[in-house]
Amino acid sequence: MGVTRSYGSRVAVEDIHLGLDPGELVFLVGPSGAGKTTLLKLINREIRPTCGEVWVDGMPAHELSAAKVAELRRRVGVVFQDYKLLPRLTALENVAFALQVTDLRISDEEARDRGLDALEAVGLGDRGDAFPHQLSGGQQQRVAVARAVVSQPPLLIADEPTGNLDVETAWQITDLLEDIANFGTTVLVATHNVEIVKRMQRRVLTLVDGRLVRDQPAGRVGRLAWAAWS
Amino acid sequence: MGSVVIKGRFPGRRRLLVVVMRNAGRYLFQGALRNWLRNLGGTAPALGSMTLLLLLSGLVGMSGFAMRNLAVSEAHDASLLHVYLRDDAADDQITALRARIEADHRVASVGYTTKAEALARAQRRPGLPELVDATDSNPFPASLDVQVKQVSDVGAIDALVRDDPAVDPGYPTSYDRGAYQRIQQVMLGAAIAGAAFLLLLGFVAVTVTANSIRSAIHARRDEVTIMQLVGAPRWMVRGPFVIEGALTGGLAGLLAGIVTLLISLALIAAGAGSFAQVAPGVTVEVAVVAALLVFAVGIALGSGSSLFSLRRHLES
Repeated sequence: MGVTRSYGSRVAVEDIHLGLDPGELVFLVGPSGAGKTTLLKLINREIRPTCGEVWVDGMPAHELSAAKVAELRRRVGVVFQDYKLLPRLTALENVAFALQVTDLRISDEEARDRGLDALEAVGLGDRGDAFPHQLSGGQQQRVAVARAVVSQPPLLIADEPTGNLDVETAWQITDLLEDIANFGTTVLVATHNVEIVKRMQRRVLTLVDGRLVRDQPAGRVGRLAWAAWS
Repeated sequence: MGSVVIKGRFPGRRRLLVVVMRNAGRYLFQGALRNWLRNLGGTAPALGSMTLLLLLSGLVGMSGFAMRNLAVSEAHDASLLHVYLRDDAADDQITALRARIEADHRVASVGYTTKAEALARAQRRPGLPELVDATDSNPFPASLDVQVKQVSDVGAIDALVRDDPAVDPGYPTSYDRGAYQRIQQVMLGAAIAGAAFLLLLGFVAVTVTANSIRSAIHARRDEVTIMQLVGAPRWMVRGPFVIEGALTGGLAGLLAGIVTLLISLALIAAGAGSFAQVAPGVTVEVAVVAALLVFAVGIALGSGSSLFSLRRHLES
């Protein structure tokens, strides 16, 4: 039995069978309302499945108590289309904040060092003192990526990470996500950007009306199944 | 990627404690205080209603304490029967009456109060010295003070002695049928009314405080969402809001406690002797304890209201 999630009589995702390998970069595509965000929320235990099981790095997300959810989320980095940075904190503080609120044992010095490392990894080592409003959209998204990976989670999920960016910046962010996958983190990217998906030639999962209609392996170039419905 | 992120080593135990304390102070207490000060305008209704509730609780509590003491005193008095003696009663008549009373198995003890002692006792009671001064003679009779074992037997002892030749036929005893029960009923009614009033006020205060915390949650929705998504533990996400509630309740408790203390001290100072009769047992020490209790209840109420609101509005 696959994973199903319903909202009343409306089925958001239905009978999904899916497994992701370590270090894999996977694109999740489909028309609006296909269930992409619902699937990501199920993985991050923002919602529970109506039926079925969701396992993340050995943890049963489908049956976790509220008290255990935090533990699961430390294993899942999250990147959003709208970045979700705290405007009153600098780029470095945003990254350090994510570290210290999850583990009070991390000192300011260590948080600063690890935060700077993460910012350097995303190419923003010199912008740590900038506030979000002083950064471009692409730079803000890089900070969000740095925040998501600073604690080295085994899984990174990104919901339309390039949705608010121009083409060139979108490619930079995609390259960054690919680099992260190459370092061993599994990366699942929900996107509408057909061009990126085609050119990256990575594994592509296609959702339509809540159903996984296609699971195209990496290296294969094919017509995107959902294009017929969009 | 430009470089690899490497997890650092944790510091030594003592330094670890310092780091944890510093981080907890910053993210829990400092953050809560900053947000509480920022939202003080929105918290004002909760602060006001809680202060009013706690002040009334303090005053009702003090009244309840005094009434409890009064009830204990009344219970003791109700089982003490004063048998008033005729002014011209002979000593052997009094002795015979005393012996008859002492022989009764329902009686615990019998004392004797002379006319002079009765007068002296009356002069210590509020309002009576003026009455005593208004007359040249001593209007207070001598009495046998009978401590009855059971309050329910006082009536029987009264019936036993009231027709004795040594007893004043005009005003034979202090027995007042049903007086004790009437006092008990009045106290029970006052306690029920007080509790209902406080419950109503408590409901209002908890609701208003919970709403102010809900506003605080919505004002910091982004920060809370990020904390939840990066995996901050629940107590870390909820802690600042609980502390905000405790700050509101603590300040309300402090204000109400100070006012309760001041009112009590003012009444004690102004009332002097008569106050001790009106509110028996209420002393400066009792007033201080009451003020501290009001403060503690304020903190508990604020934190509790906050938790109640968090359960409803901040589930992960």
